[in-house]
Amino acid sequence: MIIKGKSWVSDDYVMSYDMVLQQYWTSPINKEENAKFIMAGVREEFNSENAFKNEGYTFIVARHNFAGGGKSIEHCVTGLMGAGIKAVFADSFARLQFRNAINYGLPFITCKDVADIVRTGDELEFNPETGEIKNLTNGQSKISVPVSPFVAEVAEAGGIMDFIRKRIAEGTVDELR
Amino acid sequence: MAINSGRDKVVPGQLVWANVQSVMTMDYLGTETFKAFDSLGKKDVFDKERVICVSDHLVPPPTPAFATLLNQWREAVKAHEIKYFYDLGRQGIAHQIMVEQGHVLPGTVSIGTDSHANTYGAVGAVGNAVSVSDAAVAMATGKSWFRVPETVKFHITGKWQPWVMAKDLSLHIMGMMHWNGHLIYKTIEFDGPAINDLAIAGRMTLCNMTVDLGAKNGIVAPDEKTAEFLKPVQKGNWTPIMSDADAIYEKIYEVDVTNLVPTISMPDKLDDIKRVEEVQGRKFNKAFVGTCTNGRLEDIEMMAKILRGKQVHSDVNFVLVPASTQVYLDAIRAGYIADLVEAGVAVDTPSCAACAGIHTGVAGDGDIVLSAGNRNMKGRMGSKNAQIYLTSPAVVAASALTGVITDPRSL
Repeated sequence: MIIKGKSWVSDDYVMSYDMVLQQYWTSPINKEENAKFIMAGVREEFNSENAFKNEGYTFIVARHNFAGGGKSIEHCVTGLMGAGIKAVFADSFARLQFRNAINYGLPFITCKDVADIVRTGDELEFNPETGEIKNLTNGQSKISVPVSPFVAEVAEAGGIMDFIRKRIAEGTVDELR
Repeated sequence: MAINSGRDKVVPGQLVWANVQSVMTMDYLGTETFKAFDSLGKKDVFDKERVICVSDHLVPPPTPAFATLLNQWREAVKAHEIKYFYDLGRQGIAHQIMVEQGHVLPGTVSIGTDSHANTYGAVGAVGNAVSVSDAAVAMATGKSWFRVPETVKFHITGKWQPWVMAKDLSLHIMGMMHWNGHLIYKTIEFDGPAINDLAIAGRMTLCNMTVDLGAKNGIVAPDEKTAEFLKPVQKGNWTPIMSDADAIYEKIYEVDVTNLVPTISMPDKLDDIKRVEEVQGRKFNKAFVGTCTNGRLEDIEMMAKILRGKQVHSDVNFVLVPASTQVYLDAIRAGYIADLVEAGVAVDTPSCAACAGIHTGVAGDGDIVLSAGNRNMKGRMGSKNAQIYLTSPAVVAASALTGVITDPRSL
């Protein structure tokens, strides 16, 4: 399924503890609630209720170590999803949030130098099957690293929890390897 | 990864489900983890002796809200009939407990809901931090999915010099490779004569901070020291698994510790690394030793060696928080705690303390902290208007004597 929408280009090193400020680390997981102050510490202009969400971005285009800083909090990913983000493209991702993204079915797509072809506000089109990221505003494109079938299975199930719930109910947990 | 996922071999980049030895969760995220587990449709955890629960971030509770959270946590642990629950009175920092009490074993994979789970590599185990959902899934299934990492090797040679500690090597490597830099998602294997010379405590320090290099994990192959350390505490049997003789490393880095000197990380940026002698004489007002990085008996022994019979400078508040109840008790029995209290060090019961910025000596506006912890980004220990230098327990203790940053070799 091809995804289309507006992109926000971030700096290098967007840190998880800036995406979700410390006072929200113990908040319950809820996409809409977690979206309210997502990115609040990344840029001053996102530090008010729904400020990032109201920009209406579909994609984030980042460079090195997106969502780094060693925090395992899942609010980073659920907050982005609640804010309408459908995929994040970056040169590299921090492993904890890469896991969380796969677990929730938000594509974190590795693509070298993707930020070179995108400016904030550009319209992008992403084809998960071919991995092509096309910039509709300037006509440039890049091919991203393909995702493993497991990632698609989890996304299809609606996330890791539903994926496992189904397997527990069916008694097929032992087949996982 | 191959053995634990029932395969003959795996390749970097591959996603596999692997069996886990232990799943750790702690007070801060544990209640949410059990809630997530309960929602999966299983009554019992996969093994009541291999889900390990620890109270470390919030104990003793500094506020009524945390006391309430802890009460919910205790109920959740009890309801799931967890055998190993290290609660206040028997507590310690989770990563210390996992290694010290033998819940992680060589050649096995364990996960925990806190970032410094990399510490388990000190005894030849894979330790990985995961989220609440991942931990819940593992509690239900005894499995977790992993991306098979590329491996780099740090071959460490030479002879350790007096007052130079594993932390100095950790910070030196941080300066070489950068914080969350070239090692993102990789396994770091440490080997060589200078690693063989390190006690398990030093290996824990080294593996602990690999997460701050952005690595997936750090690991030291098990040797006689590992076997001796684990023998009285290990929860289960293990067979040593070593790297293949023809193992492929993405890169091999060489470090000779003979030339390594006391090392320090500048405030706000973990990879802004200097030799302590370059910043000698700078003022600071708070000293902190503790954490899963440097709160062990060897660290406290080093402090006592420097501070015994002397006095902490009157401009410095010095807080020591041992990493676990066992460490605390050992330090009391060895006489170190008496030496340190006499010298003017405030000692508190084991917890993550100010390293998590929650309680026990947090930093306020204008504070300049000399810490033996692991992270120094703005606000990490409390106020965003505080500065945090990171260094070894030897440097913190030496500096506490003089009231300014001091290279212990100059005393």
